[in-house]
Amino acid sequence: MNVIEMNRLTKHYGKSRGIADINLTVEEGEIFGFIGPNGAGKSTAIRTLLGLMRPTGGSATIFGQSCLEHPDIRRELGYLPSEVFYYDHMRVRELLNYSAGFYKKDCARRIRELADIMDLDLNKKIDDLSFGNKKKVGIVQGLLHEPKLIILDEPTSGLDPLMQQRFFDLLAEENRKGATVFFSSHILSEVQKMCSRVAFIKEGELIKLEKMSDLQADSYKRFTLEAASAIRAEDLQIEGVSKLENGQGANSVTFMFKGDINDMLRRISGIELRNISIEEPDLEEIFLHYYAKEDRAG
Amino acid sequence: MNLFWREMKANRKSLTIWSACMFLLVAGGMGKYTAYSAGGTSSEVFEHMPFSLKALLGIGTLDVTTMSGFFALLFTYIELTAAAHAALLGSGILAKEERDKTAEFLMTKPISRSSVVTAKLAAALANVAVLNLVTLISSVVMVNAYNKGESVAAEIVLFLLSMFIVQLIFLSLGAFLSACLRNSKNSGPAAAGILLGSFAIAKITDLTDRLSILNALSPFKYFSIDRIAEGNGLGIGIALSALALTAVLAALTYRFYGRRELNL
Repeated sequence: MNVIEMNRLTKHYGKSRGIADINLTVEEGEIFGFIGPNGAGKSTAIRTLLGLMRPTGGSATIFGQSCLEHPDIRRELGYLPSEVFYYDHMRVRELLNYSAGFYKKDCARRIRELADIMDLDLNKKIDDLSFGNKKKVGIVQGLLHEPKLIILDEPTSGLDPLMQQRFFDLLAEENRKGATVFFSSHILSEVQKMCSRVAFIKEGELIKLEKMSDLQADSYKRFTLEAASAIRAEDLQIEGVSKLENGQGANSVTFMFKGDINDMLRRISGIELRNISIEEPDLEEIFLHYYAKEDRAG
Repeated sequence: MNLFWREMKANRKSLTIWSACMFLLVAGGMGKYTAYSAGGTSSEVFEHMPFSLKALLGIGTLDVTTMSGFFALLFTYIELTAAAHAALLGSGILAKEERDKTAEFLMTKPISRSSVVTAKLAAALANVAVLNLVTLISSVVMVNAYNKGESVAAEIVLFLLSMFIVQLIFLSLGAFLSACLRNSKNSGPAAAGILLGSFAIAKITDLTDRLSILNALSPFKYFSIDRIAEGNGLGIGIALSALALTAVLAALTYRFYGRRELNL
């Protein structure tokens, strides 16, 4: 069964770019990543899907029903917005109970469990919380009614690495219990860890929908080396290296590498280094790589 | 139901403050009655005062030396206060979800837009009713404390009944504005503007009979203060028309809010 369906979903509004002709389906039990740079239209797509906005064209459904026509279908939905704003004067516990009150089931135990896992103090006032702690309130709020569909818009921003890990464990657990997870991010590595499939969105259009396993085979790293003396390009030219360029400063180079990292490290060990960094390439670079390649092929 | 109680709680403090102010307004206003009713020179002052000045002071043709006449004078200001409360409450109760950026939280819950409007309007209605009751009780008690003549409790009840209908009009007007204005932040100032505008119209039409057609624009003039003060009741026709206006504004609120492009 398709839990999420977007059919030529289009939304134009005001100054923002919006989205155009988005087609995608997410099946039950999937963990689906929705990737794109800031301002690409991720939030617009999600908000239109959830009935917060009316589409300009096309349609979007969850569990086969439009949220605009059947708001009740959102009973099975847990949603974490990208920017969490809550009724400031409330305490965490009050807000969570308020949220639970919309689902007509007893969520008290689950609230306690989730607050324990996320290390959240239920008695604090929400306006006294840091950004990261507000995010935790958002996460608990989204999961407390044990929804069958969990939609998260940039869920990890503001969380420290430990909390991110707990949060991903939590999602994996919910998924194991049968929940479908759809989350947006601009960080590819985050998505790589979890998702079975991933969609890339750029400037309001869906440019690629791929299985994670296919993407992983294409996993690029960005290397930046700074050496004591000039680096000879031919020392690094092994298969999988691309975009080899001089970095800032005379003895520094940057390049992209796809392949066995051990091969590359053995090569590098022959160089007298001052500094090294190995990073996930940012999305722009991924896009450039994947889609420049496709342009050539096409 | 959840949302209704949430709104009741959120408005508790504000309602307490409005109620306290209303009590002080009634108590302070009634405190001046002794000066108006003392007879002698003060009565002569009113007799010789030019009509336009009387009209501007809200006295008009009222006999403010009697209790019912004096309360009618005070009532103008009580009603203005209650209408201001209703207009701000009506415009704020829907708009605040967008202003506080909580709309994204609320509108992804399993609740339809019209249920949101229903719960919020019901809570606003309860608030308005409480303020009306507080005013009624304060008025009856304070008037009783100063009144030496026959009881005017029946007139007070009618005044407050007319005020309730005026409150409903401004409540639904505020809600309608917040549902239909593109930027709902403007609904509060817009509602306050309309409120003051209609109060100004009421003052202008008090000055001259020739402009009485303008009274249609001012809910403050829907019910004749003189008529109630003289013990002649509200007028069923105008009461029904005013309620119909409220119903239309409420229906439009549902319609516009249902289609509204939320500012997230």
